[in-house]
Amino acid sequence: MTDARRARYVALFATEARSRLADARRALAQWQDAPGEQEDAAEEIFRALHTVKGMAASLEFAAAADLTHSTESTLSEIRRGERTATKSWLRDFERALDEITAACEAAIVAAGGEGAPTAGRESSGPRIVRVDLERLDALLQDLGGLVTARQDLERHAAADAFSPVARAAIALSPRLDQLQQRILDVRLAPLTEVLERIPPMVRDLARQLNKDVRVELSGETLEVDRAILDQLAEPLLHLLRNAVDHGIEFPDDRRAAGKKPTGRIAITARRDGDTVALAISDDGRGIDRERVAARARQQGILDENAVLNDDGLLAILARPGFSTAEAITDVSGRGVGLDVVAARLHEVGASLALTTVPGHGTVFSVRLPTRLGIVRALVTGLGEERYVVPLTHVTELAAWEPERVRESAGRTMLDVHGDLLPVVDLRRLLQYRGNDAPAHRPAVIFESGGQRVALLADAVHGQVDAVVQPIDRLIGMPRWITGATVLDGGRPALLVDLASVV
Amino acid sequence: MAQRILICDDAIFMRTMIGDILTGAGYEIAGEAESGLQAVERYKALKPDLVTMDIVMPDMGGIEAVKAIIAVDPTARILMCSAMGQQALVVEAIQAGAKDFVVKPFQPARVLEAAHRVLGG
Repeated sequence: MTDARRARYVALFATEARSRLADARRALAQWQDAPGEQEDAAEEIFRALHTVKGMAASLEFAAAADLTHSTESTLSEIRRGERTATKSWLRDFERALDEITAACEAAIVAAGGEGAPTAGRESSGPRIVRVDLERLDALLQDLGGLVTARQDLERHAAADAFSPVARAAIALSPRLDQLQQRILDVRLAPLTEVLERIPPMVRDLARQLNKDVRVELSGETLEVDRAILDQLAEPLLHLLRNAVDHGIEFPDDRRAAGKKPTGRIAITARRDGDTVALAISDDGRGIDRERVAARARQQGILDENAVLNDDGLLAILARPGFSTAEAITDVSGRGVGLDVVAARLHEVGASLALTTVPGHGTVFSVRLPTRLGIVRALVTGLGEERYVVPLTHVTELAAWEPERVRESAGRTMLDVHGDLLPVVDLRRLLQYRGNDAPAHRPAVIFESGGQRVALLADAVHGQVDAVVQPIDRLIGMPRWITGATVLDGGRPALLVDLASVV
Repeated sequence: MAQRILICDDAIFMRTMIGDILTGAGYEIAGEAESGLQAVERYKALKPDLVTMDIVMPDMGGIEAVKAIIAVDPTARILMCSAMGQQALVVEAIQAGAKDFVVKPFQPARVLEAAHRVLGG
C-alpha cells in the first residue's frame, strides 16, 4: 500500500470510526434509559462495533481491532440471551467503548492521522487538509495588516472619489471583505473537539461521587474559531463539574424526590445567527436561591428586600470570591469558581446566562461568537509598547494639560468641558517603568456604565480595524487585558477592555 | 469492456478499499450501496456483473439482500465480504445463492482471485 493511499485510509478510518463510536454511545444511552427495550440499541451498537473492527483490522490496528472484537463478542452473548445486561454490565460496556475509542485514537495518531477529531462530519463530505495552526495564525496576522493598509488606502481614495486610485480601491473593497471572511472561515473547528472530552470526564466524576449521571450531546458538529474553541474547554469543564457535584443529587435523594435515579446532563449547541447558543442543563436540584440571597445580604451586596431573579443570582454567584464561601458550596449553592468561568467566557466575547428551577435543575446558557471579532480601535502607546482600545466606548480625545488637572478628594481629576472626570493612567495601571512620561499626553475619554473616565496614555497612534485574538492567560495578568492583536508591521498589541478598567 | 462491479458495504472505508483493489485490476465500479435495501435497488438499476456484499448492514442485512437479488436475478454473481467470527453466516449466504466469500481484513490478491473466479474468468 502506498503512503498516500494509506494516509487516505487512515483519514477515512478516523472519520468513520469516530462517527460509528458516537452512534454506539447514543444507542447505549437509550439502552440505559430503557433497559427493557434493548434489541434495537444492541443491534445498532453491534453494527457500529463490527464496522470499526473491520476497518481497524484492515489497517492492522491490532489493539483497536482486538478490543473491538472482544467487546463485540460480549455483546453477542447478550443478544443471544446467554447473558443479562445488568446495570453494572452496562457500565462496564460503556467503559469498554471508552477504551475502544482511546485505542482507535491512539492508532490514528500513531499512523500519522489527524489527532483532532472531526466526528459527526458527513464522511462523504469535504476532503480535509491538515494545516499547522501557526500558519493559520500567520494568515490572521497578515489579515490584520491588510485591513489597516486598506483603511489608509480608502482614506486617501476618499479625497478624490473619481480618481483612478479611488476606483481601484472601490473595486478592491468587496474582494478584501471576501478574503477576510474566508480566512476567518478556514480557522473554524467543530465543537466536538471540546465536547467529546466531556462524557468520560462526567462519568469518572460521577463514579467518584457515587452518583449516576448520563450525558447527552447534540449539535457538537457546529464550528467556531479555533482560538475561541481553545478557550472554551476550561470554563465548560468547570460548569460540568459543578453540575455533577452540586446539581445532580445522589440516586436515593432523586428517588425520594420522585425522579429517575440517573441524573441527566445535556449539552446542546445550536446555531443562532452569527453565534452558537450552547446550553448546559442538568435535571438536578437547582440552585438554592434563598441561601445565596441570604449570604449576599450578609455580605451587604444585596438589598434587604431585593428579589433575586436569575440574572441577579448569576451576577452574585459570578462575583470574584463570592461563591467559594463554604456556607454556599457545601449545601446546595452552585458556582464554585463561577467568577472564573464568567471571566473566561467574557474574554472570548461569549456571554453567560442562568436559569434555575428548584427541584428541577439548572441551565447555563453560553452565547459564543463563531468567528474572531474585528473591532475598530484606537492604538495608544506607552513608549514602544502599544495598547489597543476598542472605540465602542470612546467618546472623545482630550489633551492632558496641567491647568485642567484638579485634585479632588485625593483623586486626580481632569476637567473636560467643565466636567471633572476621574483619571486612569495607563502607566500606573501597567506599572510601566520605561522612559519618563512626555510633557503632553493625550487622554482617551470613554464612557462605561454611565460614568465617563479619562484614560491617560503617552501617545495615540491612530485607528485600526484590529483582528482580536484571545490570549493565553498568564497568572497575574490583569482582567482588563482581554485579547491581543497584531498591528501593521507585525507589532503585537494588547487589547484593553475599558469597561473593566473602571 | 471492463466488467462492472457493485460494492455494498455500510462503511465508506471498506467501499473505498475494495474499490481501490478492484479498479487497480481493471474492473469498473458500477456503483455503491450502503444498506441491503440499497443493494437490491442498485442491483436492479445497474445490472452489474458482480456484487460484493457485506453481511452486517443496516436496513436489511447482506444475507437478506442476497436472497432478494437472487429472487430478481437467479444468475446474479455475488461475492460475500465477512469479518472474523461470521463463518456461520457465510454458509447461510452461500446457501442463499452467493458464489464465494472473502474475509476482512482484505488481502488484495485473495479478493481479486475470488472476483475472477466468480466472474467465471
